[in-house]
Amino acid sequence: MPSVSAGYALLLLLCCALPIRAWAQYDVEDEQRVWLRGVMDVRVVRGGAAPSWTDLGPGKTRYGGDFTESGFERVTRGVMSQLVIEVGAALPAGIRAQLQVNVQPDIAGDWDPWVTEAVLRKEWGAENGFGLQAGVMGIPFSLEHVGPAWAPEYTISASALNSWLWEEISVAALEAEWWHLTKGGLKLGAIIGAGFGPDQLARVLALRGWVLGDGLTGVNGDLPLPNGERTEIFDERDDRPAAYTWLTIGDAGERATLRVGYFDNNGDQDTAGVWNTHFGTVGAVLHPHPRIDLIVQYLTGEARIGDRTNDSSMRAFYALLSHHRRGHRFSVRYDEFRVEDDDQGNPTAERGDAITAAYFVELGLRHRFGFEYVWLDSHRPSRVPPDPPQDGWQLSYRFRY
Amino acid sequence: MHRLILLLAILALAVGTTVAQAASSISGRVVNAEGQGVPQAVVFLNDPGSATAASGASAEMDQINKTFVPGVLPVVVGTRVHFPNRDQIHHHVYSFSRTKTFELPLYKGEDAPPVLFDKVGVVKVGCNIHDWMSGIILVLPNAHYAVTDAEGRFTLSGVPGGSHALAAWHAQHRGKLDDTTQRVELGDGLLEVNFTLPLDAASGRPAVSGARKEP
Repeated sequence: MPSVSAGYALLLLLCCALPIRAWAQYDVEDEQRVWLRGVMDVRVVRGGAAPSWTDLGPGKTRYGGDFTESGFERVTRGVMSQLVIEVGAALPAGIRAQLQVNVQPDIAGDWDPWVTEAVLRKEWGAENGFGLQAGVMGIPFSLEHVGPAWAPEYTISASALNSWLWEEISVAALEAEWWHLTKGGLKLGAIIGAGFGPDQLARVLALRGWVLGDGLTGVNGDLPLPNGERTEIFDERDDRPAAYTWLTIGDAGERATLRVGYFDNNGDQDTAGVWNTHFGTVGAVLHPHPRIDLIVQYLTGEARIGDRTNDSSMRAFYALLSHHRRGHRFSVRYDEFRVEDDDQGNPTAERGDAITAAYFVELGLRHRFGFEYVWLDSHRPSRVPPDPPQDGWQLSYRFRY
Repeated sequence: MHRLILLLAILALAVGTTVAQAASSISGRVVNAEGQGVPQAVVFLNDPGSATAASGASAEMDQINKTFVPGVLPVVVGTRVHFPNRDQIHHHVYSFSRTKTFELPLYKGEDAPPVLFDKVGVVKVGCNIHDWMSGIILVLPNAHYAVTDAEGRFTLSGVPGGSHALAAWHAQHRGKLDDTTQRVELGDGLLEVNFTLPLDAASGRPAVSGARKEP
């Protein structure tokens, strides 16, 4: 009869004999086919005294003050601004699947997740190539939303121009993209897309006006309007596809890149509730020094509605200068935004300017602390009051998984 | 007479040794299971106990257009590798490989310090921002290696004569290195050695190029 120690020795021998695949120093690790990422942004905020548009107030920043019996009052509060889950998968035939959902309680009015992106993408080629993308997506016209999970990269709040592009446009689209590097060192690119969904595009600009923020669109989301209604972001009524294009030219080192975009929702004004909205935008990204980013972008467009009560023209511009070194980034931006009332119906005109200064410090990949101050001056005659106080600050901690 | 035989034997041994130690070349071709040339394969001497650290040596793996360039970088053990970021966006280079674990937090330009590769083996490198970016540092025991060209051809020059273990490696080859290793006897001159490496399909994450940069 074997002793106990002999039994352990036999067990050890059996374990050693199990067909475990040993790691060898020249083996290449297998790539994960499915991956998960996440972002969480929590803040301490102290906006201007005017309550925010998210609370049906006249404020243009994402966080504002409170309504009280004696009028508006500045408040300091802690908020959870973004909770993002991203899931990606490498499918057969080199197809990439990507899903992003965002929780933004103050904008959504509840904790329901919005589907910001759900796409399949396939590319052919590398330096010179061609790609197809299909699914639900925002449009790639923002020069600021290039951070993790489409967050603004340079400031906490994006410019008025890009806040609108990323809050109200969500299309179920098919998009083709071509990119090419010439022998002379020029980088060229073109996107052409068509899709459904933005039949009420610019309704928020006419009824509420421009705002500065970092809320992200969702195909199942809706936005609050000053009259207490909510407007659906994805609302296909006329079954006519929107079309858009985005053209790029720049040098190979991306020291200077010029981008031009055009979007037309092709709305049928004979269909109830459909807006006919089109706009063009041109922007440049310059890197005069490796540590400096200089971005300018301009947008102009028109929005028409069948009953001719809210026809409006809109234009916006910003110039942003950012300096970064290691994990530190300081940015300052000037914003200008206008809406012109093009009919004799409801008053939609407004004008505004803002200066935003932000400082970020990244600690490794996962942690970012940020501070932002916004000086904002806007005038909207249809608003009560037309010139509310709106300057305010935000302190943000962002965790990225 | 015995002394003469002994002298001749010593002379023969000396001549033989001299011939065996003369620097020679090995050339050949690496092909896949279908007989097509395999580019970017690395052929190297993998003699046991031959590891020779290259003190002071340095190499570069760039990041250009959200791609590691070159995608496979063979270096000799002891080499310091720089990871300059030529893009206008940040990258966060890291590796969790057993051969070398390191992390270069978000940076642009040439802000990141070089990384010392002090163990032989494969180090898979990635970017934590752009998940499809993937590169490999192949840390080799000595400087006797060559990378195959577009036709799968290679030439190893200046190889000492004698008996060697010659191995072929490729990022998409899932077999053991021992399976590809050939014992070669190198005299004076050129030796031709060919390899057949069955390759798996590339398994990297699909990239996002063009204007739709993945954040």
